[in-house]
Amino acid sequence: MITSKKAYINHLKKALSGCDRAIVQDAIADAEEYLFDTLKSMEKEDPEIDEPEAIRKIIETYGTPEEVALAYKRIELNTSPYGDKAKDSQIISENKEDPSPQIPIQKAKRKWYKSFFGIMAQPRAWGSLLYLLLLLPLGIIYFTWAITGISLSVGLIVLIVGLPFMWLFLLSVRGLALMEGKLVEALVGIRMPRRQVFSNKSLNFWGRLKNQLGDKYTWLSLIYLIICLPLGIFYSSIIISLVAVSLYLIATPVLNLVFHWPLFIDSGFLYYLPVWLMPFAVIAGILLIFGIMHLVKVLGTLQGRLAKVMLVRPNR
Amino acid sequence: MDSERQFEVDKKFQKELNAGTGALLLLSTLKKSGKPLYGYQIAKLIEGSHEKGQVIKLGTLYPVLRSLEDNRLLSSEVEPSVSGPPRRYYQITEEGKKTLKRWIGIWSYTKDFLDKTIMEGK
Repeated sequence: MITSKKAYINHLKKALSGCDRAIVQDAIADAEEYLFDTLKSMEKEDPEIDEPEAIRKIIETYGTPEEVALAYKRIELNTSPYGDKAKDSQIISENKEDPSPQIPIQKAKRKWYKSFFGIMAQPRAWGSLLYLLLLLPLGIIYFTWAITGISLSVGLIVLIVGLPFMWLFLLSVRGLALMEGKLVEALVGIRMPRRQVFSNKSLNFWGRLKNQLGDKYTWLSLIYLIICLPLGIFYSSIIISLVAVSLYLIATPVLNLVFHWPLFIDSGFLYYLPVWLMPFAVIAGILLIFGIMHLVKVLGTLQGRLAKVMLVRPNR
Repeated sequence: MDSERQFEVDKKFQKELNAGTGALLLLSTLKKSGKPLYGYQIAKLIEGSHEKGQVIKLGTLYPVLRSLEDNRLLSSEVEPSVSGPPRRYYQITEEGKKTLKRWIGIWSYTKDFLDKTIMEGK
């Protein structure tokens, strides 16, 4: 029997267990909005009403946590970006209450060469490329922001403005984390929360600061912002060097034969690629370009998962 | 059929009907209101138009709002509220209005067809 708002939210979390964390966060934000407003208007109408009674009435109109959870699962099946439908429908079919027939999943079997060259037509690969390259400039901004914020917070702590400054800084970290999450969702296609975590407005400044400081995700987000810089440098170097190598391989015939640029110079000797090897160099260069796109897609997904683990509260 | 099973079967049927009509209900509610509304206000409007008890669980409408927004039939903006969690205000888009018009057409066609079929058997 659910007798409080908190219990309702906990039941909802439980009913959504196994779901994408981002869905859970959205569902809880929606339920919190409804429960908060409804409880308030009920109290206004009848100041005598106790919480268990109010919650019972709310469940009648809003639905049980299980019903609500099922609705989110079903909708998400159609809306997750580039949806991992196989996974989602598995969740749905596990739920015995679900009346809808299981959606058959057809795993497209493609010939290896089609999937190898088809990477160029995959928006996710291009999105990952853009995201990984963006991570360097963004990493510089995040890093500067985080380090400046930390140093100023620590430095100012002895002054009266120190703590409000720290609180504002930690809020900005949360904001950046949410923005980064949206970027990951848009470019890499990993579902991230669309709403922020609800912070209790009834708390005073100290309570909120304490909440912020005690929340693991504040610190994980901060660490994430800092490690974006080295990761951004790493990704950009890999991508740029590999692209340079493949362009060089493709251009070898022109460079060697037309411009007489040697392959390399050693002890005063100029080395050229034998002419019969040149077509192979060009082919290798072209294949490498496709290979890079595959690598980029994998790296983008890994980075997206890292972002999800560090920025999104898991379903507890 | 015992009454408990009857209730279960009816509930399931109602749920299946709602799954298809929720989006139409939300679009038309937002079109009628003409101004941005947040989840709770929409829920209240829909609740208000129920005469014979609760047909649709309001909690199941929230995810539909999100999916309508993903399909660009609704647009939304978040506004902080003074006393509670931030509210997301939804508004129908031009595309949403056009879609609603078509959906109403589809709805009345389906309704006529069903009515006719049901009445024939009676």
